[in-house]
Amino acid sequence: MPAELSLVKGSKTEADELAAHELRLIAAAKKQDKAAFKQIYNMHLPMVYGLCLRLCADKAMAEDAAQEVFIQLWRKISNFDGNSKFSTWLHSVTTNVTISYIRKQRGWWQKMMNIDSSDADQFSADASIAETDLEKYIYRLPERARWVFVLHAIEGYRHEEIASTLGMAVGSSKAQFHRAKKLIQEWIGEQ
Amino acid sequence: MSSDQNPKKLNDMIKELSIDNVQGNQHKHARNRMPERDLWTGIEQAIVQAVVQEDKAQQHKESIGLTRSTPNFIRKPSFAIAASLFIVVCTTWIAFESGKSMQGESLVAALSEQHQMQKQSLLVSFKDSPASTTNWQQQLDELDQAALAIKKALQEDPNNTALLKMLKHVYEQQMQLIERVHQPAWNQI
Repeated sequence: MPAELSLVKGSKTEADELAAHELRLIAAAKKQDKAAFKQIYNMHLPMVYGLCLRLCADKAMAEDAAQEVFIQLWRKISNFDGNSKFSTWLHSVTTNVTISYIRKQRGWWQKMMNIDSSDADQFSADASIAETDLEKYIYRLPERARWVFVLHAIEGYRHEEIASTLGMAVGSSKAQFHRAKKLIQEWIGEQ
Repeated sequence: MSSDQNPKKLNDMIKELSIDNVQGNQHKHARNRMPERDLWTGIEQAIVQAVVQEDKAQQHKESIGLTRSTPNFIRKPSFAIAASLFIVVCTTWIAFESGKSMQGESLVAALSEQHQMQKQSLLVSFKDSPASTTNWQQQLDELDQAALAIKKALQEDPNNTALLKMLKHVYEQQMQLIERVHQPAWNQI
């Protein structure tokens, strides 16, 4: 028991030290310290890229979106007030920047060519980029259903937050989630 | 597999990736991914450029006397962009609404006309701003030549989607070039 307790205490101290180190890096990055910013980049790249990949369902686009996230982060890091965990805040920045990046890439041309948005919604990705069974199915989902499923089921957003982020009604977010869930369940059943 | 087993299997799969299911490094490993290519070099270039252009913009503001006495909305570098964007949004909307069924030559004409208006309004908004490169007008001319060549090809095949895409891409590159050479990086991102 004491050994377990010390282990818990030990890991807590380690976590505290990491958090304090991260805060020092953030403070330095706010003063435009590039080396500190690179450390933040190295610490958070796997989380940022993982989320970008699940939202984009495309390796090249996810890489570009992740770059955009960190460029925006450099610009906006002074907005981080420390009231929440940095990773939580960065998670939200990543979601917003990535969604807006995907829309920017697809939106204008789609409108000018008079392509129905439902056509674009049918976009599905190469499943070979998936590392887990669920990702294979996520990448097959239509775009809006995928965004909602990823944000709600995987990233833990409430439908109200998703509706606000994606600019849709709460009911639409719920409907897209059920659509995604039903599709995945059907696909699992096909196996 | 029976349908009543599916929800359980799906829920298990969700648990594996879900942010709410924190189980230390193993869980993080399931969610996290590493890109195949190096992303830092591009990010570093963008942020270095941003700092340099921010400094230049600051120096320019000081040199043309945009001081505290200047109204806030004019002092903001985004003012010119916002004004030109307003025009762009209006013209795009009008072109889009009037051209929902637009095809071929009329689409090319609408695209070109709209682009010329956007380009002119951007050039006007930046006419007093210093450019970060000296040969940007040459680059702009080269892109004009490319657009002309594509439009010539479109005369032969007005509904060629690939050519229309290329034309739109060239126009976008022109707009990006004008913005990039004239404004602080904060506004480019």
